[in-house]
Amino acid sequence: MKKWLIYGAIGAVLYAFPWIFPNSYLIHLAQGFLYTYMVVLGLNLLVGLSGQLSLGHAGFFAIGAYVSGLCTNAGMPFVISMVIGMGVCALAGAVVAMLSLRAKGPYLAMVTIAFGLLIEIIANRWVDVTGGPAGMYLPEPDLFGLPLGVVPYYWFICLLTLAVTVLADNLVTSRIGRTFQAMGNSEVAAATVGVNVRNWKVLAFALSALIAGIAGTLFAFQNAYFNSDSFTFDKSILFLVGVIVGGAGTRLGPVVGTLIIYLLPQLVQSLYDYHLLIFGGILLFSLIALPDGIVGGLMRLKKPTQAGQRQTDAAVAESDEIGWASEEPNAELAMEKVVMEFGGYRAVDDVSFACQGPEVRGLIGPNGSGKSTTVNLLTGVYAPTAGKIVWNGRDVSAYPPHRMAKVGITRTFQNLQLFTELTVLENVLVGFHLHYRTGFAANLFHTAGFKREEQQFREKALSLLAFVGMAHKAEETAANLSYGEQRLVEIARAMAVKPKLLILDEPAAGASHYEVEKIMKVIRKLKSIGISIILVEHHMEIVMNVCDRITVLDFGKKIAEGDPVHIQNHPQVIEAYLGGEEVRKLVVGT
Amino acid sequence: MLQAVVSGLILGSIYAIIAQGYYITYITTRTMNFGQGDFLMLGALLGLTSYGAMATSGMPTVLSILAALLIVAAVMSLLGWGLERVAIRPLQHAHSIGWILSTVAVSIMIRNIAMLIWGRNVIPFPSPFGSEVVRIGDVGITRHELFIAVCAIVIMACLFFFLNKSLLGKALAAVAFNADAASLMGINPRRMAVLAFALSCALAGIGGILVGPITNTAFFMGATLGLKAFAAAIIGGLENPLGILLGGLLLGVIEQVFSLYNSAYKDASAFVLILIVLIFMPQGLLGKKVKEKF
Repeated sequence: MKKWLIYGAIGAVLYAFPWIFPNSYLIHLAQGFLYTYMVVLGLNLLVGLSGQLSLGHAGFFAIGAYVSGLCTNAGMPFVISMVIGMGVCALAGAVVAMLSLRAKGPYLAMVTIAFGLLIEIIANRWVDVTGGPAGMYLPEPDLFGLPLGVVPYYWFICLLTLAVTVLADNLVTSRIGRTFQAMGNSEVAAATVGVNVRNWKVLAFALSALIAGIAGTLFAFQNAYFNSDSFTFDKSILFLVGVIVGGAGTRLGPVVGTLIIYLLPQLVQSLYDYHLLIFGGILLFSLIALPDGIVGGLMRLKKPTQAGQRQTDAAVAESDEIGWASEEPNAELAMEKVVMEFGGYRAVDDVSFACQGPEVRGLIGPNGSGKSTTVNLLTGVYAPTAGKIVWNGRDVSAYPPHRMAKVGITRTFQNLQLFTELTVLENVLVGFHLHYRTGFAANLFHTAGFKREEQQFREKALSLLAFVGMAHKAEETAANLSYGEQRLVEIARAMAVKPKLLILDEPAAGASHYEVEKIMKVIRKLKSIGISIILVEHHMEIVMNVCDRITVLDFGKKIAEGDPVHIQNHPQVIEAYLGGEEVRKLVVGT
Repeated sequence: MLQAVVSGLILGSIYAIIAQGYYITYITTRTMNFGQGDFLMLGALLGLTSYGAMATSGMPTVLSILAALLIVAAVMSLLGWGLERVAIRPLQHAHSIGWILSTVAVSIMIRNIAMLIWGRNVIPFPSPFGSEVVRIGDVGITRHELFIAVCAIVIMACLFFFLNKSLLGKALAAVAFNADAASLMGINPRRMAVLAFALSCALAGIGGILVGPITNTAFFMGATLGLKAFAAAIIGGLENPLGILLGGLLLGVIEQVFSLYNSAYKDASAFVLILIVLIFMPQGLLGKKVKEKF
């Protein structure tokens, strides 16, 4: 309710603006501010939330402007043209995302730069269609026959801006926003809980482009004229400046960022010869002084609130009750002669082993013996060079991580991969990814079904956290936890996937003695509810205590397999860990 | 056609020189100077002014060219040092893309200053070698283009020698490989970062002098050239200097060949090329594919 009050107040102020300042220059300025803000808001979804990068957003802005302009000039009503413009933009965004799926960092930046510049070149040079630098003239926009003069057009922009803001905010606070953020924090972890990272990246790009397209249309019809000078690379940079200086990933950041990139240049415009100097100086200063952006910096100043108290009291007590267990504990895993080569080096060499659930299987071996590679193979992070991985009768060798999660295999990470910017509770909520039933629209409009489901999964997440003894930290940001705590949260997140096979990659590394005890207890509990576990671990105390059977790797080959007692006395295992015959003589003295 | 290929190779070698600057800073600091183009512009204008001053004071041509090159390299290195201190180091631990914007911020300030000093108009930059054309078979090459080719070969040779053979170059490589381990070996990674940026800016400056006579010299000339050099680096593979050389040459040739048909195609071809390369080889032509370990 409070939310709607705020939106209502903003709406009232925006509505009243033309009466308070009945000045066409100011109204014009306000229009420009609003659509620029919209682009920044959309870019913030992409850059701030899902951790992608676009240095070509002026391209989407341009597509929105040209497509809707051309449609209107072809005789279509303004609103229809706008919708078509949005659609084409979303499509273009999806295409750019698909082109750049495998590209990362500077390479991704280059793809988006190339896209933006191509659009700019087309706008400039395809004069027959776009009008080029001479521009394109448009009729006055109308709303189903109702002509939109300066002030009504301003109100129309206000309405759209509010709608976009509310819907974007809804998305951010729904599972969609969480998934975006999770993907931005750790792609591989998102994939192992079942997120199809490729599709979600495309979605993020398409959404962001669609919003830029709306803004482009609004810009085009503002003066019933525009030309190709408005869609330069500098403009793309400017949009990004708005996101970063405002505060990437924050909800108020785009407003503040747009103030900086839109109103500041208007203020210093009179100093024409120096305005780049001033703007560059301010930009540089703000980046150095406020690396998290203005809003991000202010939020850091504010003391951390008592959010932790909110709704965790109910479930603080550690519980063994776990409704979210594996219901059908059939887990038959077989690795058949699996080989993994990295440029000629065989990290895993012809390894076969079988695992029949529910059991706890230890996977041990000295450093460099191929344990982590095996884990990466079993969870789809790598695809084997040769050999087969069979899971419940199905060949899953070529499955990517999110499909492995779907068939019931998930994992934790040796080098922790929590979604560091999310809270502990949200981390677990992302783990439920495969079990949400509400669709995109329900999340966009925060329907009753969405709220019910959200509440339901929050309770389940809390009970999972209680299961690993972390419920009291549910509202803490994941980055603030200790190593051991982070490992427990990773286990809770993995359990949310409802796995049949859970692979724990060195869950006790870096944990304190107390935490090691806790982790052991959790592993035993997991086994008791029927989840099969593959445990990779160096702490022999844990391995020998909780494992039913142990598989030993050395130099990528399996050298032994059997129960803990068998392994402890296996000569080859001792040799692998302690060295050859001479060392044994030295140590044992015989 | 052959003519276009030859002039493409020459243009491409300039892209490659500028792009090596991206390589050097990327491997040592994982950042780049997104304003490389404006540093190039500054190099061109500075070179023009200093060469003009010396030439009118009666110094022999060759000597004044060398002096201009030295002056530009020195000034640009100094600026590179400043850039690292102002725009890179303070942001090292901040948001991962802050450096893109901070280097852009510095570059637009430089652009503004250059506009105040040299004015808004295109300044003629006559080649010190005149505009005579040397004919080799069907292909005509201006003497300045020959000069570019010679310079490019010398600079590349020096650069490869420096990176692969000299102790300092090896220290740079060590920081690139593992900054922590390098610092345990007594290498100061920060000093290496400064060195990398100084070198990178000096390369941009020299590139500016070379490209000046074959393009429009003015305060706004940098942006496109900087982006194309970046494209060259990405096409070749940002972490492979040989790939960058290849990427630069390829880009230059394709541009010149397409400009035979239409100047709009010329600019577009560069970016279409990069999209095609990145779709099939997301690490660039000679980039190494790395498997991430989890």
